[in-house]
Amino acid sequence: MRLVAHNMLQCHVKGCNSNNFPLQLSNVEIEIQETDFNPMFLRNILPKLEWNALVKTALQINITTLPNVLPDTSTDDLDDEFLKMLHRVLLETHIQQGKMICPNCNHVYAIKDGIPNMLLNENET
Amino acid sequence: MTKYFIQFVQSHEEFRLPELESLAKIENVKISYNREDYKKNCPFLIIEIDTEEEAIRLVKRAILIRNIYELWGTGKSYEEVHTRVKAKPERWPPYNYKSFKFTVSAFGSTCSSDYQVGIINTFAYLGFKGEINLKDPEVQFGVLEDYGLDPAPPTEPYMIYFGRLIASGNRDLIQTYNLKKRKYIGNTSMDAELSLIMANQALAAPGKLIYDPFVGTGSFLLTCAQFGSFTMGSDIDGRQIRGKTNRSIKSNVEQYHLRGKVLDTFVFDICHHPWRDNLWFDAIVTDPPYGVRAGAKTLGRKNPSKRSLTTKLIDGTPAYEEENSYPPTKPYEMSEVLSDLLEFAARFLVLGGRLVYWLPTVVDEYSNSDLPEHPSMRLISNSEQNFGQWARRLITMEKFKENIIGDRANIHNVKGLDNLSFVYKKKDVSPNEEEITNTKGKKKPGHYLFREKVGLVEI
Repeated sequence: MRLVAHNMLQCHVKGCNSNNFPLQLSNVEIEIQETDFNPMFLRNILPKLEWNALVKTALQINITTLPNVLPDTSTDDLDDEFLKMLHRVLLETHIQQGKMICPNCNHVYAIKDGIPNMLLNENET
Repeated sequence: MTKYFIQFVQSHEEFRLPELESLAKIENVKISYNREDYKKNCPFLIIEIDTEEEAIRLVKRAILIRNIYELWGTGKSYEEVHTRVKAKPERWPPYNYKSFKFTVSAFGSTCSSDYQVGIINTFAYLGFKGEINLKDPEVQFGVLEDYGLDPAPPTEPYMIYFGRLIASGNRDLIQTYNLKKRKYIGNTSMDAELSLIMANQALAAPGKLIYDPFVGTGSFLLTCAQFGSFTMGSDIDGRQIRGKTNRSIKSNVEQYHLRGKVLDTFVFDICHHPWRDNLWFDAIVTDPPYGVRAGAKTLGRKNPSKRSLTTKLIDGTPAYEEENSYPPTKPYEMSEVLSDLLEFAARFLVLGGRLVYWLPTVVDEYSNSDLPEHPSMRLISNSEQNFGQWARRLITMEKFKENIIGDRANIHNVKGLDNLSFVYKKKDVSPNEEEITNTKGKKKPGHYLFREKVGLVEI
C-alpha cells in the first residue's frame, strides 16, 4: 500500500467517528519501488490530502522530507523538485507488511504483501 | 467543418455512439452528425469535425471504430460518387506524387479482386502519379460499399462511400488485453473489448483516479490505467485480489507494465468501507456481482441471531487479522447493491465524474424506467448486450450536481416489493408468463428478482 492510499483511509468500526484518522503505522516493512513521475496526478490528488496526517505518518517511518505546511496548491507553479519529492513519498513508498492501528478504538488493520485488510469483525459493523 | 465518415465495427452496436460521444468529450473535439443517419445495422456514419488533427485524436483510442476517412464522395451509385469527387478537384493535388494505395470493400457482401480493380480504374481521373505501395503508402483511399445485413444481399449497394483514410481506431488493444493471454483471470473477468470500452465510457485519461469497488481480478484497473489513469480497487474477497503465487492482480499489473498506474487494492466490503469523506474519484468503473456468475455478498449473517458479539479468535489473534479469513457474509440483494453503488458514487465522485457499471435485466420485462436514479446523477448512456432471455446493460452516469447528505438512490420500490418474492418461489411460475405487478399495480423493474429468474442460465 502506498502512502497516498493510507491518507485516504480511516477507521470505519461502527461508532468510531472521531480521532479515527490517520491510522497509526506499527511494525511496518517499507519498500521503495520506483515508478514514472506524473505531475498531473500529483496536482489532482494533492489538494484532497490531509497534509498534517501525511507529515505525521511519514515521520512514523522516518521520512523527514515533507515541509510542515503544504505550499499553495491552487497555482500550477508547484516546482518540479517539490513534486518529485512528493512522488517519492506518496507513490514510491510502499508499506509491504505491518499493522495500522486506529488511534481512537485501537482496531488493528493488517497489511500483508502490500494489501491492507480493512474488513471488520461482524460485531463492529 | 469538414465531412468525414466513420467505419464502425459491426458489433456492440448500442455501444458505438456512446463511445464516440465519450471520445469527443475526452479529446475535447466538437463533432456534429445527424442522429437519424445512425443505423444499428450499418457501420457507416457521416460526421463533421473542424480539423483533421481533431479527427485523428478522436479515434486514436476508439475500440468500436475501425477507421475514419475524409469524405470525398458518397452516393447510391458510382455515377453520384464520381460527380461529388469531381466537384472538388482542389482536393487532389496534394496527393499527386505521393505513394498510395486504393482499397475496395463491401459490407454485407463480397467483391472479387477483378471487381475491385475495375472499381479502382473508374477513379483514374484523379491522375495520381505516385507509385502504388500496398505495404506502407503515404496516403490511402478507400471505397466502401454498403449492402446491408439482409441474408440475401441486393445486387447493387445501398450506399457507396469514397474517401481518404485519416486514422484508425485502437482495436489492437483488444489483443493486448485478451483474457487468453492474461496470466491471472477468474470466471468473472470481463472480456478485453468491453473492459476497454468501459474505460472510454469512464473518460479515463492521464492523471485521473479511477476506482472499482468490486474489483475481482482487476480487469478495469488495467484498461483504465492503459489510458493513463491511476486506479484502485477493493473487494470483499481478498483471495481474488491475492490470487496464487505468481498469478494475482499484481502479476497482471507487471505483465502489462502498469505498476506506476495501478496504485492499490484493498480488502473490504463496499457497504462497510473505510474511505475518508472526499471527492476522491474521477470515475467509478465496476461490474457488481449480482449473482449471475458470482453471488453478491456483504458482511453479516443470513440469520442475525447467530451473530457473534465478540471477536472470533484464531490462535489468539482476531480472525479478521488473518489474511485468508473470509468473514461471515449474507446475500447482498441486487437492489441494495444498486442503491449502495449510486449513493457511493454521488458522495465520492468529483463533479462531472462518471459511474460506469453493468446492470443485468430480464429482457422481456425491462423498460428504461427501471434504471436506478439518484438526484446527483444523470444518465449518459445505456447500452444493451443481449444474451437472449437475459441481457446486461452498460450504464454510464455522470455526477452533475453536488451530493446532499441524506439524498437516496431511487431503485423503484424494489425493496418494498421484496415481500412479494414468495410469488416467484413457486416452482412452476414462469417469469415470462407471470404478470408482474406489485400491490399498486406498478410494473416491477426488469432486474427484479433477476437472480431467481435466470437461475437456470449459467454463463
